[in-house]
Amino acid sequence: MTIRILLVDDHPIVRQGLKTLLEGHSGWEVIGEAADGAEAVEKAKDLSPDVMVLDVTMPRMNGLEACRLLRQECPGLEILFVTQHDSPQMMREALEAGARGYVVKSNAARDLLAAVDAVSQHRVFTALNGRNVAELR
Amino acid sequence: MKLRILLADDHEIVRRGLRALLEKHEGWEVCGEASDGREAVEKALQLNPDVVIVDIGMPNLNGLDTTRQLLQHDPHFKVIVLTITDSDQVIREALDAGARGFVLKSDAARDLVSAVEALQNKRMFFTPRVNDLVLAGFLEKGQTVSRNEAPKLPTLTAREREITQLLAEGNSSKEVASLLNLSTKTVETHRSNIMRKLSFHSIRDLVVYAIKNNLIQIELPPPPPKTPTGPGPTAA
Repeated sequence: MTIRILLVDDHPIVRQGLKTLLEGHSGWEVIGEAADGAEAVEKAKDLSPDVMVLDVTMPRMNGLEACRLLRQECPGLEILFVTQHDSPQMMREALEAGARGYVVKSNAARDLLAAVDAVSQHRVFTALNGRNVAELR
Repeated sequence: MKLRILLADDHEIVRRGLRALLEKHEGWEVCGEASDGREAVEKALQLNPDVVIVDIGMPNLNGLDTTRQLLQHDPHFKVIVLTITDSDQVIREALDAGARGFVLKSDAARDLVSAVEALQNKRMFFTPRVNDLVLAGFLEKGQTVSRNEAPKLPTLTAREREITQLLAEGNSSKEVASLLNLSTKTVETHRSNIMRKLSFHSIRDLVVYAIKNNLIQIELPPPPPKTPTGPGPTAA
């Protein structure tokens, strides 16, 4: 079954990089892109993706706010944060907001595929830079 | 003959995005990638690319000092600086360093191809804000820094700036010595000179200086949501 992914980051060049990485994986499809949290919420409602790859720091609405909203609006959607913030506090906040995964942007090329694979199967995946890679449940 | 481009950014995901963007352009090829400034200098000397694209905020050697080193080795290198901010100070330093292109990372998908095309045609490429500053005369020779700004970087030598960045990134003198192929004693001497020149007494002062002068960059957490739903993010 195809995993349908929505990419959310305010930098088009980062979305392009994530897209080339994800589309190299057979059976995964990037069905849309958004540049901020508000657009992410709208597109998630329209497109019903299986997984959202979501940045934290974005204009208009940040990723944490979007995540909290999406938990109510799209309960079946799995959310994976890909962020600059290499911080246990931020990771905890992301998971409390309802995300299933957390990956640091500098390691995205290494961790992203495993993370999408895990969250698409409703498993938690977290990885901070150089400290731990933990796949839970 | 193809235009050969070297990409330097510490994020592989950004390099992938840049590569995908640039290689769509017929007649261009990405001949190499580097994940920090030191590697960029090495690869540029080895590969002799037509254009080098450097991120400002790279570890070990930032993009501005990378540009300076490249042009010291060979003034014919054409460098485009990628940056997350177009503050007056960053613009001045990029131009002082010798960059011939200046592109905001957030606008790279739109502007980078135009910037490379400009350099290919022996022109320069800057964001509208840079052009405004130039027109406003901010960059006239001999222009002094306004009183409220951080101390200007050229008070340190190139080697001292490199060492300042590495120390501010958390490396010990021994680690810096190893990275730069110097003796620990030489690094300690540079360190003492840096602290004396800047009248600093702690590594904390040095870190603040490095941040203010764009030697290193920090990521700030997003502001808390307007409607509190839990404890706000903790500042680093």
